[in-house]
Amino acid sequence: MVSVAVRVRIIRPLVLTALALLALAYIVPLIWMVLSSFKTNTAIFSTPFALPTHIDLTRWATAWDIGNLGRYALNSILITTVSVLAILGVSSAAAFAFSRYRFRGSGLMLGLLSLGLILPLQSYFIAQSTMFTDLELTDTYWALIIPYTAMGVPLATYLLKVYLDALPEELFEAARIDGAGDLRIYAMLALPLLKPGLATVAVFSALSCWNEFLLALLYIQDDALRTIPTGLLAFSTRYVTDYSLLFAALSIITLPMIAIYVVFNRQITEGITAGSLK
Amino acid sequence: MKPHRFLSPYLFVAPALVVFAFAILTPFVMTGYYSLTEWNGYGDMIFVGLRNYIDAVHDTVFQTSFINVIVYILLTLVVEVLVGLLLAGLVLTVRRGSIWFRVAIFTPVMLPMVVVAVLWSFVYNPDYGLLNAALTELGLESWTRVWLGDEHTALLAICLVSGWIYAGFYMTIFYAALRQVPSEVIEAARLDGGGEWDILWRIRVPLIRNAIEVAVLLCVTGGFQSFDLFYVMTNGGPFHATEIPTTYLVQSVFRTGEVGYGSAMAVILTAVVVTMGLLLAALRRTTGREGRTRRRPLANAKEAVW
Amino acid sequence: MNRNRIAATTLTLAGAMTLILTGCSTGGSGGDKILRIAMGSPGEAQIAVWNSVADQFKKANPEWSVELNFQNDDLYETIGLPNLLNGRKAPDIYFEWVGKRLQQRTADGFAADLTEQVTRSPLAGVLDPVHYKAATVDGKIRMVPRIADVSNVIWYNTDLLAAHGVTPPKTWEDLLLACDTLNAAGIVPIASGNKDLWAAGNWLGHLVSRVVGAEVYNRALDAKSSFDTPEWKKAFGYITALRQHGCVNESANAIDDNAGAQLFFQQKAAMHATGSWLVSWAITEAPDLNFDYVNLPAMPAEVDTGSVEGVITGYVINAKSSPHKGAKAAEFLALLYTPENTAAFIAADAVPLNATPSAGINERTIRLRSLLAEAPVVISPADTGFDPKVASAFYRALAEILGGRTSAEDAATQLAKQVR
Repeated sequence: MVSVAVRVRIIRPLVLTALALLALAYIVPLIWMVLSSFKTNTAIFSTPFALPTHIDLTRWATAWDIGNLGRYALNSILITTVSVLAILGVSSAAAFAFSRYRFRGSGLMLGLLSLGLILPLQSYFIAQSTMFTDLELTDTYWALIIPYTAMGVPLATYLLKVYLDALPEELFEAARIDGAGDLRIYAMLALPLLKPGLATVAVFSALSCWNEFLLALLYIQDDALRTIPTGLLAFSTRYVTDYSLLFAALSIITLPMIAIYVVFNRQITEGITAGSLK
Repeated sequence: MKPHRFLSPYLFVAPALVVFAFAILTPFVMTGYYSLTEWNGYGDMIFVGLRNYIDAVHDTVFQTSFINVIVYILLTLVVEVLVGLLLAGLVLTVRRGSIWFRVAIFTPVMLPMVVVAVLWSFVYNPDYGLLNAALTELGLESWTRVWLGDEHTALLAICLVSGWIYAGFYMTIFYAALRQVPSEVIEAARLDGGGEWDILWRIRVPLIRNAIEVAVLLCVTGGFQSFDLFYVMTNGGPFHATEIPTTYLVQSVFRTGEVGYGSAMAVILTAVVVTMGLLLAALRRTTGREGRTRRRPLANAKEAVW
Repeated sequence: MNRNRIAATTLTLAGAMTLILTGCSTGGSGGDKILRIAMGSPGEAQIAVWNSVADQFKKANPEWSVELNFQNDDLYETIGLPNLLNGRKAPDIYFEWVGKRLQQRTADGFAADLTEQVTRSPLAGVLDPVHYKAATVDGKIRMVPRIADVSNVIWYNTDLLAAHGVTPPKTWEDLLLACDTLNAAGIVPIASGNKDLWAAGNWLGHLVSRVVGAEVYNRALDAKSSFDTPEWKKAFGYITALRQHGCVNESANAIDDNAGAQLFFQQKAAMHATGSWLVSWAITEAPDLNFDYVNLPAMPAEVDTGSVEGVITGYVINAKSSPHKGAKAAEFLALLYTPENTAAFIAADAVPLNATPSAGINERTIRLRSLLAEAPVVISPADTGFDPKVASAFYRALAEILGGRTSAEDAATQLAKQVR
């Protein structure tokens, strides 16, 4: 027993130090990015590891002004919010029907929808883009909201159905006996009971919409409609030579996200892992 | 429960089906159709049968792109899944106080891939990048490389970034699973005189086999679909050394306008991804049925959502 | 928060979003009095001038509106423009390069015949008629040329060269010697950022064209003659020599053209091979840099002595636009050439063909213009002058030789196979 205790006493600090060092490998590049935004190009090139001589936020202001960053952020917020709300609404309704009703064709329809769990984006985005061009959807918010919703629905429906399946049938029968209609049961009984499931779905849907890149790259050419990922890419190709400005822009986008993450890390981690374990 | 009105369930399901059919199913079928034609996206569509598929199979760049993505997947299985598992084991031994580490290492998953890619492009920049600067300062000047411009290092460099991003993600999954392992089992092993490392590998890891299988599945099917990191960091270069199927087909469709040919490649890629996914899933199911007696709540939940 | 409040908030949010979305996605309806203009993004400064020209047009034509579409450069050059032209909101005026691209648009029926129109008001007299020569396809004028760029010269850092006793290279031997001297001093001789293949592609394409001659160059890139010939192999061999003398930064194929130029601006490299667009860029990026250019040094036994690689770009009127739109489009194009707008474009670093040498134009830009005007032979860079697929295979071959991946011989053989 003594030996175990001793071993723990020695090993624990060792492991802690190793982990701390590793954590540094994650934090340092980000801190370096923020600090570099306060340096000149020449300083970044010649003394990359030196601290900035003074903290001057004018580069951040410039990046914000000329980079259209506010616009990109607003677009991302708008597209993500609408897509997530649509995913929640559409898939909770579908999950409710699949879970609580027996109806003709439900197996087929559920099977069709679960195709969405295995089809990769590559299997449909080419034709989707020609379709959207023909329908003049490209360069509108819809060009992203529609596919984001469609991509999110299958998994969300599946997860919510699992949640609903676990609820006792008597609850619903009781409501029915009280005279509640279908819509009322869905809105007043199922939805409130689904809240934890909805929260999980919201978290991982939000994150995947927020960071989606390929479709945003292909469907949005209008700078005023770009989301953060493609907007930042446009910014970085335009100002690739002005590193302090580039790092200022990246910092402006990154820091709030890290702040949100640190505050809600538990919910976010759980949401993402649950979403990935489909 | 019986619906109040006959139509109700259909109305509940309709929005989901409509949006899914419109944005995914229809284009999925159409991509299959395009793959049988020669088409530049706007002119006349010429039916060519399976010619695109034959061309694709013989296209050396397309072949290279598959080899590259397989190498990438194998390497990421190590730097993401295996490293993630090791980290989870380490974190478990300290538990208290590990929250900051777990937050830090998960952060990259939260960031837009573009941020990570741009940041790392600068780290790898051959002329004034951090990596070469650090090597020079350490007196290892001969080790400096044109990391992303050298055929021998470019893919490896991207794999490392991928590991930097996702090791924390897999660690989180494994950490959650490991914590579900009943403490009596561990205590019993300890009483038998097992060392912590032994316990981790002999007892804990086999018990979270399910989570590991899910992680491998995610890493493999996700790997085939990667795009952002490659597109921003190298876009397939140098000399196709980091060309993966998606960068190549995006190039074919959206740069040179070969919609038909690109669609054929997309169909092939889809077939591979779906087969891999189903195969791995089937494998799990058969091995899962053989003599596993204990089922843990977490494992059950995951099984159910699969 | 109780349930009702959540529901209410959700509803309000959703409602607001719908409003914003519909607000943003409308437009486009409104009939036939919209003049649509498409081009690759020319940068903030010039966009401002375009907007002001559009305002002038709308002032003169109150019932008309103008839609300017600035696409990402790369996209526009590849699939963007064809998509626009075939879409329902096809542009009435679009940016194009002379050469194969303009011929293709003409063949596809997207380039209006302007032969008559340029002699009539409002286009009459906006340009010296000699400029229309390049924009003529099969005897008919298909474009109003706007800017002539030299797409490849060797820029050099005056101070750096002087400090190392190197004179601006006039011959191939000079160039190799300069590379050796600079390398010994730890300076990158020639900076190139060739990740996207066109940067060194333009330069090396020019170099090999000098050796094989413009005629062979044009025929091979038109896929009418093979690359698998001794003369091409010999020409490609000079690129191997460049590599052996360490003329180019090792990172050439890994960094993009911006980063390549940055090496020159940061004075890490003494020379940089690129086009006339460097002038304004260098002045803003590196105000203290003393730089000048020489045309590509003469190659041993070159066929075209002193050829210049150049591109002429301009604006085409869509032949499928209705006649009254075509007339308005001509009116708009004429507006671009008024003295005020010409001055505004010059101030935004775009020097149009009609500009007369003046104080506002950089002296180097004026010299470059005469270089092009007086050139004995002008060749087109592969990516704008020829079939994009051939050009991309050609550029890839050049990059592989420069990167030491493929020998000159093998590159010629492989390229011939790909182009066939």
